[in-house]
Amino acid sequence: MSEIVRAAALLGAGLCMGMGALGPGLGEGFTAGKACESIARSPENAGLITRTMLVGQAVSESTGIYSLVISLLLIFAV
Amino acid sequence: MNSVDFILIASYLGAAFAIGISSVGAGIGEGLIAANATRALMRQPKASESLLKTMLIGQALTETGAIFALVVALLLLFGGMTNSNGGWQMVASLFGAGLVIGIGSLGPALGNGYTGGHACKGIGRQPREANLLTANMLIGQALSQTSAIFALVISMILLYSTPAGDSIVKSFALVGAVFSMGFGTFGPGLGIGMVAAKAVEAISKFPKQSPLLTRTMFVGAAVAESTSIYSLVIAFLLIFVA
Repeated sequence: MSEIVRAAALLGAGLCMGMGALGPGLGEGFTAGKACESIARSPENAGLITRTMLVGQAVSESTGIYSLVISLLLIFAV
Repeated sequence: MNSVDFILIASYLGAAFAIGISSVGAGIGEGLIAANATRALMRQPKASESLLKTMLIGQALTETGAIFALVVALLLLFGGMTNSNGGWQMVASLFGAGLVIGIGSLGPALGNGYTGGHACKGIGRQPREANLLTANMLIGQALSQTSAIFALVISMILLYSTPAGDSIVKSFALVGAVFSMGFGTFGPGLGIGMVAAKAVEAISKFPKQSPLLTRTMFVGAAVAESTSIYSLVIAFLLIFVA
């Protein structure tokens, strides 16, 4: 494989993880912010709200993990 | 023109991008805090002392990322980084060192501004809880600033410990590390700022729930931070392994 192909793969790995981290970080922060707001209004449901927050954040995290996997593939497998 | 000229060009451009991009975030964030402080002052003129204090502390923390960028820019200009035997890898790493701290401090600065703004708004709502609100603002801003510190670490590694050489593959890998860490701090920095802002807002409305809210803020911020840690890992792999 030529040098320039490998170079492009490595640059792509960096771009992939960088852009891929942007969305989940923002989305998870948004979720946790709303969770704080809801817990303040009804503290008796804190356990339920925290659980739902974590499930929602886990789903939101998935695209970040896809980016991590693709970056690792671009670095080590391509 | 050979690569020696390009090394100088890269370090000057890197310095310019570092300070140029990072001042956008710091300026907007600090303006947001000051705007909310003045509006809160309209509602509660008697709380002017604690509002001024919180505003200045919040703005100082928002400024941190821009100060990191200033340090890197001065190092690029006067630090004697331009080793003429560096080759293309030196070009990539000097330009990248500036770019990573520039993009990397953007998100945390905006997030810190958002948090500080809500803290000032909260003091306008509940002047008696000013100390509690300021303490929570500081914790939230510190959490948000972590990802800017990751960007500073990558910037320092690029400045001081990149091997000299002319490999095109390695140069592209270094630029890739810059994009990974730079954009990777943006989401988490801004996201943690949003968590902390909502937590401070909720504490100002229901001060009795503050321990529960601070705990939830920590959990939410830790999850939001995870992607910036992935970015740091990929950046390290690109710099040292690839």
